[in-house]
Amino acid sequence: MSTINFAAREINCKIVYYGPGMSGKTTNLKHVFSKVPGHLRGEMVSLATEDERTLFFDFLPLDLGSVQGFKTRFHLYTVPGQVFYNASRKLILRGVDGIVFVADSAPNRLRANAESMRNLRENLAEHGIDVRDVPIVLQVNKRDIEGALPTEMIRAVIDPKRELTLFEATAHNGGGVFETLKSVSRLVLDRLSQNK
Amino acid sequence: MIEPSLALYGDAFDRVDHHLEELLTATGVRYCLLVDRKGFVLSHKEALWAPRPPALDSVATLVASNAAATAALANMLGERTFSEQIHQGEQGTLYVESVGDSALLTLIFDITVPLGRVKVHTKKTIAQVAAILEGLKDVPPVQFSEDFSKGATALLDDLLG
Repeated sequence: MSTINFAAREINCKIVYYGPGMSGKTTNLKHVFSKVPGHLRGEMVSLATEDERTLFFDFLPLDLGSVQGFKTRFHLYTVPGQVFYNASRKLILRGVDGIVFVADSAPNRLRANAESMRNLRENLAEHGIDVRDVPIVLQVNKRDIEGALPTEMIRAVIDPKRELTLFEATAHNGGGVFETLKSVSRLVLDRLSQNK
Repeated sequence: MIEPSLALYGDAFDRVDHHLEELLTATGVRYCLLVDRKGFVLSHKEALWAPRPPALDSVATLVASNAAATAALANMLGERTFSEQIHQGEQGTLYVESVGDSALLTLIFDITVPLGRVKVHTKKTIAQVAAILEGLKDVPPVQFSEDFSKGATALLDDLLG
């Protein structure tokens, strides 16, 4: 559930970008940061290694504006994708309101996509939550690379029951980034008004 | 959801606000923040003489993440938690202490403020604030109308196209 501060009239929602290493999670955030007007976003915080791999998380606060007198804000996070940073991933999932799963279209990353989704389910379960209880949107990124796998093949290993809304993306030039964010934001806000 | 929500409002907010103000005055710190475990600022106070504060969203996020990482370390070492964190620099100090399981009290101050004084006063404030937050658990869940969803969707269209 989102954090609601009635006195300050603020609603804060946490959205986490999840997925295998190098799938483009940080690139999504960088694009949002570069395109959203300065007065609607805060500082972008990146805790990265020397080779720019996310070590702990990236963070970007985003102001949606006021809805019925409540200042509504999204806090966007990425998790580190590398397998060995699972402790960090688990911590960042704490209190999550919505998830964007960023899959990689590269032919040699099919297994990494599947393992990352399995890891997401496991980490949510450790927080005592079923994956079906959190709004999740699937973004299939890097659609412009040579030899990109068919989207349906990627979906088959991540979302075989076709339950998730899917967006194709080329995050490095912004393709599909805002569409994905808008979709997950809507799901989170709908849930808030349904009081789930 | 994974974490209990903290909906701070009305009399509870006023009382928390009052305790933070008292703490600020008693200790002489620059900034005082109450942050929830998800990394959102619930309330904040700053001294009149303090320079413009750093980005509070970022401070809260990093403090909450740091506390979560510290708690994970504590568990690995057989402790339930480490209740306080102190980060001392050449010019200033960041002091963070748990307020029950739901929040973190964060104080930022310069070298003229004795850490011992901060600790003594913070302990007292934490007991008071923890009691208020505990009372919030009985508050009924918040209801937003269908209009809220429509209004939010319109804003999303404006912002994200």
